[in-house]
Amino acid sequence: MNEKTSLVAAGAAIMRRNKRYVVWFYLLNLAFAHFGATAFSDAAHGILDHSLYADKLLHGFNLGVFLEMLARPEFGTLPGATHPAMMFSVVFFLASLLFMPGVLLGYASDHPLPRDEFYRACGRNVWRFVRLFFFFSVIAGIATGILFGGLNALVNAADKTSNERLPFFAQLIGTVIILLVLMVIRIWFDVAQTDAVLRDQPAVRKSIVAGFRKTRRNFGRLLGSYLAIAIVAVAILMAGILLWYAIVPPSSVLGAFIIGQATMLLLLAMRFWQRATGVAFYVREMTEPVAEETRPIPGFASPLVS
Amino acid sequence: MVVRLKVGVCLLAALSVTAFAQSDGAAGLAIPATTLAINSATPLSQRVVAYDMDAKYDAKTHSLDATETLTYHNLTGQALDTFPFHLYLNGFQPTSTWIREGKRWNSYGPDLGTWDAKGYGAEEIKSFEVVGQGDFTSQLQFIHPDDENKDDRTVVQVHLSKPIPADGYVQFKIKFHDQFPETLARTGWNRDSILGGQWFPKVGVWWHGAWNCHQFHYDTEFFADFGVYDVKLTVPQYEVVGASGIEVGSVNNADGTKTVTYHGDDIHDFAWTASPHYLIYNDTFQGSMGPVKLRILMQPAHWSQAERHARIAKETMEHFDRWYGPYPYKTLTIVDPEPGSEAGGMEYPTFITGDTNWYMPKGVLLVEDVVEHEFGHQYWYGMVATNEFEDAWMDEGINQYTQIKIMNSIFGASTSIINMWGVTAGQVDEARPGLEAEADVDPIAKNGWEYADPNSYGGITYFKTALSLRTLEGVIGEDTMRRAMHTYFMRYRFTHPTKEDFLKTIEEVSGQDLRWYFNQAIYGTQVLDYEVMKITSAPVDWYKENLSEKKGETEYVSNVWVHRKGEFVIPIDVEVKFDNGDRVREHWDGQDRWVRYEYQKKSKVESVEVDPDHKIYLDRNNFNNSRTAEPNGDPARKLANYWTCISQFFAQFLAWWLV
Repeated sequence: MNEKTSLVAAGAAIMRRNKRYVVWFYLLNLAFAHFGATAFSDAAHGILDHSLYADKLLHGFNLGVFLEMLARPEFGTLPGATHPAMMFSVVFFLASLLFMPGVLLGYASDHPLPRDEFYRACGRNVWRFVRLFFFFSVIAGIATGILFGGLNALVNAADKTSNERLPFFAQLIGTVIILLVLMVIRIWFDVAQTDAVLRDQPAVRKSIVAGFRKTRRNFGRLLGSYLAIAIVAVAILMAGILLWYAIVPPSSVLGAFIIGQATMLLLLAMRFWQRATGVAFYVREMTEPVAEETRPIPGFASPLVS
Repeated sequence: MVVRLKVGVCLLAALSVTAFAQSDGAAGLAIPATTLAINSATPLSQRVVAYDMDAKYDAKTHSLDATETLTYHNLTGQALDTFPFHLYLNGFQPTSTWIREGKRWNSYGPDLGTWDAKGYGAEEIKSFEVVGQGDFTSQLQFIHPDDENKDDRTVVQVHLSKPIPADGYVQFKIKFHDQFPETLARTGWNRDSILGGQWFPKVGVWWHGAWNCHQFHYDTEFFADFGVYDVKLTVPQYEVVGASGIEVGSVNNADGTKTVTYHGDDIHDFAWTASPHYLIYNDTFQGSMGPVKLRILMQPAHWSQAERHARIAKETMEHFDRWYGPYPYKTLTIVDPEPGSEAGGMEYPTFITGDTNWYMPKGVLLVEDVVEHEFGHQYWYGMVATNEFEDAWMDEGINQYTQIKIMNSIFGASTSIINMWGVTAGQVDEARPGLEAEADVDPIAKNGWEYADPNSYGGITYFKTALSLRTLEGVIGEDTMRRAMHTYFMRYRFTHPTKEDFLKTIEEVSGQDLRWYFNQAIYGTQVLDYEVMKITSAPVDWYKENLSEKKGETEYVSNVWVHRKGEFVIPIDVEVKFDNGDRVREHWDGQDRWVRYEYQKKSKVESVEVDPDHKIYLDRNNFNNSRTAEPNGDPARKLANYWTCISQFFAQFLAWWLV
């Protein structure tokens, strides 16, 4: 890895070398979503499969007919159809928590990581990641709680004026700022997670401190990199929706599936790009002399750069 | 004997004249026959009331002090010694019936949880004089004709010392103080704007031998007599003012206020608005009775939508003029109310409020939907002044029906509410979920405040009524229905018709006895639901060994079962489609619970559809109106695909931030 290469480019190179992680996570994401959609799908098939009225949903999307379908007693309750999707989203989050250490180790490796090392890293770090998640939740929760409280007060104040746009833009700008703050906290904990995995650091508080210091020292570089990738993600989402609307005929289930899934795959890849960028940053940091004693990284005898 | 009797009768008559003597001050009273505000040389209504009001509005406290001179012409045919008045701003008090009903259904409507004394409204009569009879202020009594709520102060009654004879006049001079509520519904202030509705003591309506003056209810609206309004409004000079009727004068006063004077003919209510922010968009509609000035008061942030408001108003007026009858007034004021206020989507005579926001996309026709609907009330409430308390369906439901017709005519049946990014919805699509949810809860013909809840009130009075009339159109024909509506409007404009007046007009114009339909659709709660229950096709030679089925050669016996699931009986058409493209139409009177049709053909049944011309809009479940022999999973797969993508996105979003 060339030291002069930007973090974003270095992250992209790492992600490209390890495409399999994105693919596996995407398949997990798709499978869980499919399971989560089963209740909805079964209910819809029961009502629509033999009805000519369903044409209004196939050759176009008639919102009224869709609402009529949801209101049918045989469709069941809306929570009954939607809660499984929420539950499987949580399952996907837990799977991400479980397997991310292996991904980070793979990203830091200059060769394809053997399966046993991948799972070993996952197993060794699972409890650390749970604790890191806990600390992240507390810190992010407090920060967003305070910020959303302030934002609500601001929007309420803006709402008292006669400028109708003011509350909307106050809400919009405030939300963007909160997301930026959340992103900074996310970067901090991404670095902390990388530290915990690559240094095999059992004391997560040390990883949190190390993550904080590194993030603070390289704040602009890291935030810029993450932000750039996030903007690409938003662009992908917009492009996906536009393509779906522009080129997929309303009745083409396959076309909609392909465009939809391509968008989902690319969106997921953006997050892995961010993680790879974080690993590239961390590895570069590792090559610089540090004052504190570091534990050897298991499985790596040479510097983790290529 | 005969002579003595005659003398006696004469004496009695003289005594009765003395007993009914009009108040001294009432002599020479009359309701003005002005026609300043209408495109007609003569009055259009039988004018019962004349309101002359002088109101001063304090924009800082959102309060108003006014004097009201009400002249009442007793056209009831009998002497009257009792008069009830509405004081509807008292509905915005915590103990009122309006609030009680709102709290009963606290999951619906305005948020009363955060409602406090700063937002209360009140209407207090400071003095009440009956001209020629003296001061009755201390004799006013609050009454509650609709419930047992003694704390409701929305109707007040006065007993006169001398009755007013038939065809006599009485004049009331009333001083009152209004404290406008922060808008919870229909009327009040929001920030520095005000929408003044139901703001003055208004006399009830003598209807079918009794006073009709209901309390202010959560769902229902209003009922009043036609007459003449002359109103002076004094407001700060920086305010832009709009009101019912036509503006006849505006004078700047030395104290920084201005007095704007309005006059209205043949109207039964008066509303006004003032805000420093309104921008005025003027336009004109050329109606069949003369020009109508459109005055549109827009919020600055919505200025780009002013033309949308004007266009839909003119198109709607053109349809009403052509289909139902002329709009006789010289003006229509359309108000785009303060953002976030609850005063949007309201109707008053010659004065309506729209409802929009700054980002309203062109493909979402809510601007058009609201303006069309509220203008429609100029006919179904404004001119055909039905009792909105007892027959809410006759204004809201009939208006919803004409809204469906007109919006569909302008924007297309399947895109008359949403047409954006491939998502569509028509007016009927908007109405059907309301029917589906509430079809059997309440009948259409019911007092508006006695529905099970606001969802039933909305679902039945608006949507079931509209879909019932749309279905009736399929029974008697579209042209006949339009003629019936035209006849109803022309015959009953400027009167207070009953439900039977409306229904009998339809029967008369169509020449049909439609009781079988009205008894189910209007007076009953029967649910209309037909389904294609089952389809079978089997080879005639099923018993032969090594039978090989060949399309077009093998002969099949096919059976089709159609089932009437609901109690609502209506004749229907059934279309059976065979896999060689043949179609067969059947007609079923629907009297039995089910019917079976059998066919022997060299083709199998492909699909069966009840009501193939889609004329029965009242059917609660359209999905079971048809059945295909073979399933087509694509529609469900398409929706499941959407849902899968949304689930994936949500899961990724969760994992993105948390891991």
